Amino acid sequence: RSDRSTHAAKPPFAMSSDNVAISAEFSPELRVLRDSNKEEPQLLPKESVQDMAKDVTYICPYIGALRGTLTVTNYRLFFKCMDRVSFVLDLPLGVVSRVEKIGGASSRGEVSYGLVCKDIRNLRFAHKQMEDSLIKSIFEILMKFAFPVSNGLTIFAFEYGQVYPENGWKVYDAQAEYKRQGLPNESWRITKVNDHYELCDTYPSTLVVPVNIPDEELKRVAAFRAKGRIPVLSWIHPESQATVIRCSQPMVGVNGKRSKDDEKYLQTIMDANAQSHKLFIFDARPSVNAAANKMKGGGYESEDAYQNAELVFLDIHNIHVMRESLRKLKEVVYPNIEESHWFSNLESTHWLEHIKLILAGALRIADKVESGKTSVVVHCSDGWDRTAQLTSLAMLMLDGHYRTIRGFQVLLEKEWLSFGHRFQLRIGHGDKNHTDADRSPVFLQFIDCVWQMIRQFPAAFEFNEYFLITILDHLYSCLFGTFMCNSEQQRVKEELPKKTVSLWAYINSQLEEFTNPLYVNYSNHVLFPVVSMRHLELWVGYYIRWNPRMRPQEPVHQRYKELLAKRAELQKRVEELQREVTNRSAASSSERAGSPTRSITPVQTFV
Amino acid sequence: MEHIRLPKVEKVRLINKISSRRASVGTLYLTATHTIFVENETEIRTETWVLHSLVCSVEKQATTTTGTPLLVHCKNYQALRFIIPQERDCHDVHVSLLRLSRPERYEELYCFSFHANSDKEVRGQAWDFLSLKAEYSRLGVPNHLWNLSPVNRDYKVSDTYPAELYVPKSATHPVIVGSSKFRSRGRFPTLSYYCKENDAAICRSSQPLSGFSARCLEDEQMLEAIVRSNPRSDFMYVVDTRPKLNAMANRAAGKGYENEDNYSNIKFQFIGIENIHVMRNSLQKMLEVSEAWSPSMSEFLEGLESSGWLKHIKAVLDAGIFIAKAVAEDGVSVLVHCSDGWDRTAQVCSVASVLLDPYYRTLKGLMVLIERDWVSFGHKFSHRYNHLDGDPKEVSPVIDQFLECVWQLSEQFPCAFEYNERFLITIHNHIYSCQYGNFIGNNQKERTELRLQEKTHSLWTYLWENRTDHINPLYRPDHSQTRGVLRPVTAPYCFKFWRALYNRFDRGMHPRQSVIDYLMAVREETQQLEEQLVSHEEKISMLEKEQGKSIQAKMNTLDRSHAVWASPPSESCLGLANTPGDYSGLGGFLTSSPCQQTGPESSLLILPGPGERGKPSDPDLSTNSDDQESGIADLSSPPSEDSAKDPDEAAYSAA
Repeated sequence: RSDRSTHAAKPPFAMSSDNVAISAEFSPELRVLRDSNKEEPQLLPKESVQDMAKDVTYICPYIGALRGTLTVTNYRLFFKCMDRVSFVLDLPLGVVSRVEKIGGASSRGEVSYGLVCKDIRNLRFAHKQMEDSLIKSIFEILMKFAFPVSNGLTIFAFEYGQVYPENGWKVYDAQAEYKRQGLPNESWRITKVNDHYELCDTYPSTLVVPVNIPDEELKRVAAFRAKGRIPVLSWIHPESQATVIRCSQPMVGVNGKRSKDDEKYLQTIMDANAQSHKLFIFDARPSVNAAANKMKGGGYESEDAYQNAELVFLDIHNIHVMRESLRKLKEVVYPNIEESHWFSNLESTHWLEHIKLILAGALRIADKVESGKTSVVVHCSDGWDRTAQLTSLAMLMLDGHYRTIRGFQVLLEKEWLSFGHRFQLRIGHGDKNHTDADRSPVFLQFIDCVWQMIRQFPAAFEFNEYFLITILDHLYSCLFGTFMCNSEQQRVKEELPKKTVSLWAYINSQLEEFTNPLYVNYSNHVLFPVVSMRHLELWVGYYIRWNPRMRPQEPVHQRYKELLAKRAELQKRVEELQREVTNRSAASSSERAGSPTRSITPVQTFV
Repeated sequence: MEHIRLPKVEKVRLINKISSRRASVGTLYLTATHTIFVENETEIRTETWVLHSLVCSVEKQATTTTGTPLLVHCKNYQALRFIIPQERDCHDVHVSLLRLSRPERYEELYCFSFHANSDKEVRGQAWDFLSLKAEYSRLGVPNHLWNLSPVNRDYKVSDTYPAELYVPKSATHPVIVGSSKFRSRGRFPTLSYYCKENDAAICRSSQPLSGFSARCLEDEQMLEAIVRSNPRSDFMYVVDTRPKLNAMANRAAGKGYENEDNYSNIKFQFIGIENIHVMRNSLQKMLEVSEAWSPSMSEFLEGLESSGWLKHIKAVLDAGIFIAKAVAEDGVSVLVHCSDGWDRTAQVCSVASVLLDPYYRTLKGLMVLIERDWVSFGHKFSHRYNHLDGDPKEVSPVIDQFLECVWQLSEQFPCAFEYNERFLITIHNHIYSCQYGNFIGNNQKERTELRLQEKTHSLWTYLWENRTDHINPLYRPDHSQTRGVLRPVTAPYCFKFWRALYNRFDRGMHPRQSVIDYLMAVREETQQLEEQLVSHEEKISMLEKEQGKSIQAKMNTLDRSHAVWASPPSESCLGLANTPGDYSGLGGFLTSSPCQQTGPESSLLILPGPGERGKPSDPDLSTNSDDQESGIADLSSPPSEDSAKDPDEAAYSAA
């Protein structure tokens, strides 16, 4: 029996922590840790060493200065400590947001470099100054490969040629997903109007719209919605036919412009649901911001113009506020936590407050659809950030399919990728411009909200925490093509499915790692999480995972598996004996051995 | 009975504090021991019982159009709001409850009337369930270093100490008595925990009466004797759990702390746990936060922080860690004291014991620990938990903090504790409830005088009999981390708000699905399966016998299925044949995955369970079919009813 405590004693620092820590060793870029005798990493296909430097010092905030060899490839940074046995730092360059030279050369002739990372950590190295100024320092090489886009290089995802058993790009098929939802039906049709992204270049090609609105009218509606992002169906309730509709803000402007087509369109959406004579419009923004948008030609639906519609503001702040909040959070949790004011420091970041507002908004949407049987329209300004957060979370609450591993992949592909959440801009893949105001942790917040839900419903999700952490790690890693580009149109143009590997190919090749042992299929159930403060917690397993003190004390996960495996085992044996009893008593004369004990169906099996 | 002015009020509305929109109408009854509210409307009779001894405050509010509200707060954090139609009735209920919830004499307490007529002999045996003598002998004392001292047999030396105390063998009678005279309340240094692996000990006492310069030779000799009773170490720690300022202030009153210069071979250390008054106020502040209906982010977090409660919990745990480290790692004995040595000292010694010894992480172990460090050493239960109407300044959540430390540890080490949080909450409840005799009175002398063992029941036997409710399904006694000393992390984010205790009755506030409920159901099912297995085996062996008699006659008429099972199970191949085969699918899966290592996680799956019996089936038939069955079940079959029920309901309930 292998005891994992031996692993816990000296964790490889580059890996994800928490209960599933060991699983991190299975991920492709971390497999190298198995061969930690070598100074160099074990390279991935098409990965090549670009530079190597001995006598580099890594200044670890937890254990102090470590001396070792630094290797830079076109994909990763790899540091291996020479004097201490087990220390390895291995991170994809995509994680690096910024590299800065700190101060001049020290008395020892060393120069310091700071690496600010997108995954809540900062790394610091020191290296001797190059005597010959013509020779590039390893950190200059690093900068070149960390920001390929800024340096005219290709992102590693386009080179990585690993073959997986499954083509992850096939996970999502819009037609199939709508068919699963029962679409098209008598009220809703699938339109080809955006087949060539002519109606809206940030929308997917497949759109679901009301049956009796012809494509020509859709074009007139598009003219009244920001970026042409017209209201389209995201999800339909299998029984009540109440729908979740998403779009961008209406172009009302200061003069309170109206559009008969848009008004009629929303009325048609309401009429498509016979159960309710009302339509809820959820504007994700604070009302002040929504009003301020009028100055820029945008705005919100007035209840005068839209009869039977009720407008609700959800008070979720914009991408700039969220970016600032995460910056503060990072300051509070990394590298060390100030002992005395933990709660007030955490509070001052407002991070949990934002999480709460997003979850509360999604909850209201799900409640209106499920309990109120009312269709809802969700938008923010452009309808690709807060709107994606809200619709995808509401759909996660409403539809058990999205709570499976594959279903969740479909949800991401659909609500985030196909509907044009601007991943390239929000994350800034390979771009050195770290101050870009378009960067924002919108997707991270969504995953955080999912984690909060997992905690409240530990048996309702097929995937585990490690699945979420893996998605976040590869959001930045630039190993897979999944989170590249800003829209479906761009992805098609760049031929991503042909040139890159999908993250889902990797994940689906080892589902075992990402499966929640407690999962029970609650597919017909709607989950309403509690969004009160007492139930929201900082996701320590993600935000504080670099801190060695965070190391999990005991592998609960494994204990779950053991308990469930033991039950499954017993179930099997009882069934066998049951059969034997029946057989024997059948064989042994007329005397039948009572009534058979009820057979037990396994709740969860791992084979 | 004479205190009940009004035994019954009708048309009373009960409002649960949290879901304040819904009120239920019913009848309120006052009995000698409980307030009982019976709902009218519902088809099923719903009753709410509140024990008088658990009531901590009764407040009558201003009359409104609907009636007069009566607010009842309980020591177990239940809060109820009754609205009584007539003000006069409300007044009567109020006055009655005030008196009923504040008994003046021990004899009025609930434990003396709870099942008073049960068999005396059985009751007496129940009290013998835990024996401190057995506990000390488990620890390995008396031995060549430690003696049982008869000095306090009649509670003459210290009336708050137990009769049986363990002292270093080299400490003579005059030394003990001399030392006791130099200590507050005569509470001289004596043994609390002994580590037989390295002879290091945890001793406890009260503060020395050192004032600014007083010395006592016997006390110095007493400490020297403790140092000598640990042959592997040449010094000991003296831990004063108070903040230094408080200890210095005590000097002015002729008390204080040990001067390192006067005692040979001691290292003196302040720990800085605040006193009972600070703790009482801190809890009060935290409860204000936990009672808030819908606190904002900043109200909750800042309120929690400014209450200081978790900081105090951390201080107690840190002190325990210091001592556990000294004993386990350095092999150094420790003497712990505070002022009187019955509050902070009890906390710190018992926390250190839980960290050091896995036994205290079992059900029975925690009971014994509370019995030893708290009950026998004279923690003033009746004063601290307000059993009788007394001085409110004596009340403080001291043992509450110990229980919370254990809870915080169990959150950090989820597989290391045999008991679950319900066990801790039940103990907490009964410390206040006065339903059992265990925690009545303030010291052993008082308890003996009250003849509690004759007149009341013991909580420990009740808990032991109901232990299935209190078992942590994750407990794994064989795990390496479970066996050794616990080394918790005490970074601030490791301390959580204990929702299950402080919001115990706010049902709307609990998570919709609880892993522990789920796992307990799994565990129960596993047990049932094991029973079924045994019964099947018996049935089979019975059938075999029968068949043996009649088999010859039937041999000719054997059907196909019989042929499969015909070979009788041989004992030699028990539990082997069907395990690896069952998981062959897994092996296939792993080889096809891009990553070759299977890792410890999956290898564990193949191990047969420890309690495995049963008979291997014919491999050809059973492994194949079972494999398929489980594979299909995985995808299509609904969860078994038993285990799904709980989370099921939860998933439906609306926000």
